[in-house]
Amino acid sequence: MGDVQISDEDFRKFREFFYRKTGIYFEDGKRYFVDKRLLERIEATGSADFRSYFTKLRFQASGEELQTLINLMTVNETYFFREEYQFKCLVESMLPEIVARKKPGSRIRIWSIPSSSGEEAYSIAIYLTEYWPPLAEWDVELISSDIDTAILERAKEGRYSARSVQALPLKILKKYFRNLPNGEYQINDDLRAAVEFTRVNLVDPADTRPYRGFDVIFCRNLLIYFDDLSRAKAAEVFYDALLPGGFICLGHSESMSRISSLFRVRKFPQAIVYQKPESS
Amino acid sequence: MSAQVQRILVVDDAATVRMYHRMILEGAGYAVEEAFNGLEALEKALAEPYDLYVVDINMPKLDGFGFIRELRRQDLPQAPAVMVSTEAQPEDRRQAYEAGANFYLIKPIKPQELLSVCRLLLKTGAKA
Amino acid sequence: MPRDLAGLIQRLQDDQASVRRWAARDLAAFPEASQALVERLRRENDPGVREAIMLSLVQIGDRTAAMGLAECLRSDDAQLRNEAIEAMKLMPEAAAPVITDLLSDPDPDVRIFAVNVLESLRHPEVEQWLIDVIRRDDHINVCATAVDLLGEVGSATALPALAELKARFADQPYIAFAVDLAIRRIREE
Repeated sequence: MGDVQISDEDFRKFREFFYRKTGIYFEDGKRYFVDKRLLERIEATGSADFRSYFTKLRFQASGEELQTLINLMTVNETYFFREEYQFKCLVESMLPEIVARKKPGSRIRIWSIPSSSGEEAYSIAIYLTEYWPPLAEWDVELISSDIDTAILERAKEGRYSARSVQALPLKILKKYFRNLPNGEYQINDDLRAAVEFTRVNLVDPADTRPYRGFDVIFCRNLLIYFDDLSRAKAAEVFYDALLPGGFICLGHSESMSRISSLFRVRKFPQAIVYQKPESS
Repeated sequence: MSAQVQRILVVDDAATVRMYHRMILEGAGYAVEEAFNGLEALEKALAEPYDLYVVDINMPKLDGFGFIRELRRQDLPQAPAVMVSTEAQPEDRRQAYEAGANFYLIKPIKPQELLSVCRLLLKTGAKA
Repeated sequence: MPRDLAGLIQRLQDDQASVRRWAARDLAAFPEASQALVERLRRENDPGVREAIMLSLVQIGDRTAAMGLAECLRSDDAQLRNEAIEAMKLMPEAAAPVITDLLSDPDPDVRIFAVNVLESLRHPEVEQWLIDVIRRDDHINVCATAVDLLGEVGSATALPALAELKARFADQPYIAFAVDLAIRRIREE
């Protein structure tokens, strides 16, 4: 492998392109981080230099290389209470607004997608149980979906590594999990029963059509890995899945600003979220 | 009179235009941040409001008019906004002022023009 | 009413925006629906319905769809224009023949939008089209938009035309700035 270099202008050119596509902006301080991964991909794709790699990146019909690069450039680990401020926002800001406009006795529906191995959905269930006293007065339906049936099975089992639970306060861990002989943690049956896991391909209209009437959607760190058309289609699904006034939370480095013009931005003390207009 | 550096948000989907406006404004001592379109600009303004906005009209998802209208609706300290555009119709100028812009400049903008307008709006603390 | 082509097209004219939006979404599966979708787009004011119509047109991706979206570039409605540009960027192959015509449209704003759409076009001729624009277009903002893109996709082939542009608009600091930047990017300095 020759002496491929990323010049300052190459870096800026790449940075602007990546920012335009994803909304993620790499400060000059991230130069080493970015260069390292670019060089890795230049080699992996058999590109002679940055210029030819960049052409490939920009013009590849499938968009696969860009997706691969995005995967490399972002951290996609899942664990309990990841981006906890959004759960806080749910119980302190979003749900109060939602219940204020609901008839007592009606259901509250929350959709978490992708489910991955279930950490997000169970985190929501724990948060509601621990930190939302009105839970006793409302019927909450929690649905979590993924395209991968194998991971859905894991999610239903509810067995987790120490790493997965390390952000949980000890009292939560003790209350909702039991220790397994192999060092893993088993989430208790009440919580497992609290979440309905379903298989959904977000860009398949046949799969998504029944998903309507939701008050809150959590879709964190998924759309960033989609190409532009799939992202637009996913946003379309989410818009129609929400009730008027319903909320959607994306990952902390994600924004609707590259995806859809239909959602209103709402700033709450805990987080910025998106809302389907109440008059829609 | 505050000695704090004033923060300006430059909003345009063209990177070159953002760089150009940044160069001009930083050269005059302002702190400049950028946003790619009106929606990103709104998110940034909600997180940390700016002293002045320089906003293009034609942007994806939320354009300049939409941004300014939304800005004026939100519970935020109301800062002045300069609208910039390639359009030269009187209709666009009127629409800009109706949306809540304080000034309207036609691209490409000469450095002195941008600076004079920004200085004026920041000095008088003009609001919609 | 069945959700077949005829039924959906009828629903596309419903009084309720939510009905029209679902009809527009479902019509993405019917390539023959592009004309009906384009006709509705011309009269549609609801942003949710417009977005769904455009996304379905993108997915159908035929010439009728491309031309229908291109029509929106002439609209007085800034939001509609900008959404149409984004939609056309999502269907580069279908948009290509339409865009090349628009590069020589009499309206400079339309030419600017056309250059904008080129950003996503994977056509080997894109660089040459951009060079042609900066050589021949008399409108400064059309040229400025082309220069911006040349900084990203241009090669040494573009250098002479860039230098000529800078000389042509010698009194315009923005053009000098943009050209210098494009040249630096192309030379990878």
